Amino acid sequence: MAESVRVWDWAVRLTHWSFPILIPALWWTAENHRMGLHMTLGLVLLGFLTFRIVWGFVGTRTARFSDFVRGPAKIAAYLKGAAAGTIGHNPLGALSVVALLLAMLVQVSLGVFSGDPYDGATGPLNALVGTGTADTLTEIHHIVANVVFALAGLHIAAIAFYYFAKKMNLVKPMITGRKQVEGGAQGIQPASFAKVLIVALIAAGFAVWVGYGAPPLT
Amino acid sequence: MTFAAAFRTTALGILALGLAACGDADNAEGEGGALSSNGASSASGDLESVVEERQANYEAISDSFKAIRTQMEGSNPDFAAIGQAADEINTRAQQIPDYFPAGTSVEDGYDTEALPAIWEQPGVFDQRAQALIDASAELSGVAVTADRAAVTTAVEKLGSTCKACHDRFRMDD
Repeated sequence: MAESVRVWDWAVRLTHWSFPILIPALWWTAENHRMGLHMTLGLVLLGFLTFRIVWGFVGTRTARFSDFVRGPAKIAAYLKGAAAGTIGHNPLGALSVVALLLAMLVQVSLGVFSGDPYDGATGPLNALVGTGTADTLTEIHHIVANVVFALAGLHIAAIAFYYFAKKMNLVKPMITGRKQVEGGAQGIQPASFAKVLIVALIAAGFAVWVGYGAPPLT
Repeated sequence: MTFAAAFRTTALGILALGLAACGDADNAEGEGGALSSNGASSASGDLESVVEERQANYEAISDSFKAIRTQMEGSNPDFAAIGQAADEINTRAQQIPDYFPAGTSVEDGYDTEALPAIWEQPGVFDQRAQALIDASAELSGVAVTADRAAVTTAVEKLGSTCKACHDRFRMDD
């Protein structure tokens, strides 16, 4: 029989929900010439991304990449009906997690170098690269935005598929942190507040450092 | 702070990928295509298309100025190309006042960063446009001498005319 267990710690959930808030906001500010706000939000996103990636190594069990990132063989087996092997992300969903985090990381990394000092806003690390390079990175930044939107769309479509076709609600556990599991699978331990705090400080410190132009690099 | 270090490495790796992908684009910019003969539309024309042409004109100026700065970042600048790009900026700068018919500010609902101040202080705006015309002419003249220090000064002066106008007449970032 199914029982309710803890599956996502609060830090994972908070970080997760920052993305569907920040991504549309970043798109809107870029479209509406609000570049000051765009860059601030971009640095907030960098902070959350940094947190999530570090948390993927030191966080709770289901937060760790080692818990869910699997090779092609395991993904193929899962598609043929094998068990996911974790109460967290299944081997296929793991691809979505990694692709989204990577695409957002690439996008933010491009953004901090983007712009032209004589033509509007510049990212905090723009001065580290030459004029032509900055111009190219800016163009790639515009392209990768669409990659992020496409991956987010695919992610939402997959959740809809699980909800309607497989009768599995993936949204609720990402809000409450708990889900129903069969067969006595163990839930996770609660996240250590001190550990969350330390990782959050590292992530915020990194984002602020980049925001100030990564001294002494600029 | 090993995680931060890992992050820096990642960012630099991504940067390296960007660098590898961009060499050709830089060269293309340096050549600077011929100036197309798109005179400013008459004020009676579709204002939407005037705004678009205005932006295309500024984009071209921006591209030429990037080409100039890219040359100056190299160890052996092509002063002939710099002069050519300065001439293109000069031609396009002369068109700037024609691209601002009344009713085409951001407050008129257009997708633009042009502030109403342009029409409130037309004398100052024209002066700022003239400053770009003068600075680009000066750069074109100095480029002929191939004197790197003098060209650097002229490039910086040109850049400051861009900024001076943006600060007053273009939406804040």
